[in-house]
Formats: sequence, structure tokens, C-alpha cells
Amino acid sequence: MNETFDPQVKQVLDGERASSELPPSLRAEGEAARRLLAAVDRSEVALSPHLDTRVMAVVRRHAASPRYRAWRWLTAPSVPPWVVGALAAAAIALVLIRSVPDGAPVVAVPAPAAPESVYVKFVLFAADARRVALAGTFNRWDPATTPLTRAGAPGVWTVTVALPVGQHQYAFVVDGQQWIPDPAAPSIDDGFGRKNSVVSVSAGQGRIL
Amino acid sequence: MAHEDEGERTAEPSDGTVVRAVLQGDVEQYAVLVRRYRDRYARYATRVLGSVDAAEDAVQDALIRAFDQLAQCREPENFAGWFFLILRNRCFAERRRDRRIDDIETVPEPQAPEVSQTRLEQVERSRALQRALLHLTPEQREVFVLKHVEELSYDEIAARVGTGVPALKMRMHRAYDRLRDLLQETR
Repeated sequence: MNETFDPQVKQVLDGERASSELPPSLRAEGEAARRLLAAVDRSEVALSPHLDTRVMAVVRRHAASPRYRAWRWLTAPSVPPWVVGALAAAAIALVLIRSVPDGAPVVAVPAPAAPESVYVKFVLFAADARRVALAGTFNRWDPATTPLTRAGAPGVWTVTVALPVGQHQYAFVVDGQQWIPDPAAPSIDDGFGRKNSVVSVSAGQGRIL
Repeated sequence: MAHEDEGERTAEPSDGTVVRAVLQGDVEQYAVLVRRYRDRYARYATRVLGSVDAAEDAVQDALIRAFDQLAQCREPENFAGWFFLILRNRCFAERRRDRRIDDIETVPEPQAPEVSQTRLEQVERSRALQRALLHLTPEQREVFVLKHVEELSYDEIAARVGTGVPALKMRMHRAYDRLRDLLQETR
């Protein structure tokens, strides 16, 4: 049943070949392709005129929240980057301390991966998880690209990634369904009622995290 | 010279100027970006999600999310491209939810009695195509919408979504074959 278009007809669909250039044996298929494209609806879509009002109402509420003000203060140019970096590093170090069982080694991570990026180690303690992944602004929130692996200790999952200098938001994805923020890192509202964790990476910060 | 001065006075501020103003605390300036971008990708979101209502929710959420994350907009002059990626992620997340395709609204039925038979057939073909699009993978549907609804070239799509042209073409060609099957089944 699965009929496929001839590659030459696909070129017509892609606009890379005129349908008149198709051999006679492909004319019928070319006509099917023409009908397909003729059915495309390109009419404009008008959203509600009240959308602007609704968005700005939420924006004003978020802007007035203590969390947003604190975040703005932290990210303002007048605040030295090391303040944000130190807070995030302390938070992630706390995860390591909380997560790793007594006596388990905490592995230092090598020096910066590239002049503008730094290796960052993410750790989560999730005893019952079957799989854990990392999703964030650095991988377009795609959990498929950055899975964590089990560390030596039971329930400890880790991954080390090279992150560009700057601030990044992220979350852990447990068993492909449950999105959870890093329990010890700073977090911000993601606009959908959930929290994203925040890590700030500064140049020359190549040792921990 | 006088003409240029007048032009400068009436010119709308650039996206970069507005983004920097918002980041410096002038929250009301964000309304400029909302006005500028609320409709720009509405058609994309509607065709990808299959419903104007769902698209409106997605655009609203994306605008709010963009405000919350504005400090991460590394190229304020390219706010449009950055906002598109936020909206795109929101649309993909929506499509991953357990959403019944039957519930999704498609092209509205024409009600006016004077609508011609030809127009009715055109509308029915559009409805059938929109229903078929919803059976594609989100990635296939997106590339079809960007190429054939938004009428972007493969190079423009690649720049927008960060995927190479060969991969986009492969996705698209699979989408053509799948659509052909689906539309034949509905006849």
C-alpha cells in the first residue's frame, strides 16, 4: 500500500524542478503532487485582540515578584559575574554533598573544554529512576541529547557537559516524563508554573561544578 | 538631512533597543515586542498545533517565557529568531502531550450558501490535508509548514531551526510519502 513519490516528483514538490519536465510516465504522479500543494492553506490567522493585555498583565506580575527582582539584581551588569558563579557553584557543590553517599569520591572535572566553555558536572540522586536526562537552554530542552549515567554509588546519576560561558537554565528529566529542578541550585519560574534551575558559568571556572 | 532627522524621530525602536530597555527595568517597553511578534508566527503555530486556540495559548506562553528569560537573549537584535525557538519548543511540548487528534479543530466549514462548489472542494481538500498533517511526526509537520505554508527555502528553514538542509530534506520527503498515503486513505 505504501506508495512513495518518485524522487523526480519530490523535486517538483520542493520547487526544484518544473512539473513539465517530468517524463510522461510520471505525469499522473506529478498531478497528485500538484493537488497536494494546491490544498495547502496559507490564509492568515488572527489571534485575539486581548492577547496583548493578558501577556502584559502576567509580565507586570512577574516583574513585581521578589524572585524576579532578585534575579534581575543578580544578572544586572553591575553585579560581578563571580557573585552569580559562586552562588551557582555553591548550590551544585551542595548537591554533590547531599547526593553522594559517605565515602564516595567526588571527582574533580578537568580544565575548561574550550576558551569560551567550561566542563560542568551535573549530579542527581534518584534512587528509583530507570533513566535520567538533562534538558536545558544549552541543548534546546531536548532530553534525548544528554542522558545521565549511573555513577558508582547506587542512585547517583551524573553527566559532564561543556557549557559556554554565561547563564543557563536546566532541569532533570526522570524516566522520560518527570521534569524536576535541581534541588540545590537556584531556580526560576519557567512561565508555565514549573521551576527551572539556573547555572552560571564564568571564564576561568574550570575546576568544579 | 532634515528628512533623515524626521525619519529618525518617527522610526520604531529596534528589537535590540527594546530588549535592552526592558532588561534595564522598563517593563512596559515589552508591550512593543508583544505587539510586534504576537501575530508574526500565529499561522505557523496554528498549522503545527492544528487549532487557533492552541496556537493562541502557545504564543501567549512563549511571550511570557521570553520575558522571563530575556536576560538569556544573547543577540537582542535577533529577538525574532530567539522568540521563534521558544515558541517552537512550546509547540513541540504541546504536541507531545496526550492530545486526541479528534479534538483538534481543522479548517472551519464554510457556512455561506453562496459558496461555490469549487470553493467547497478546495476547502474540503484543505481540511483533509490539515487532518493528514496531524498524523506526521512534529518534526515532519514543522518542516512542511515552514516550507509550504510559510514558503521558506530549505536554507532559511535550516537557519531558523538549526538543522542541516540534508536532514530537513529527508524529513520533508518522508512527509510527502506519508501524506500521499494518508490522503489516499481518505478518498
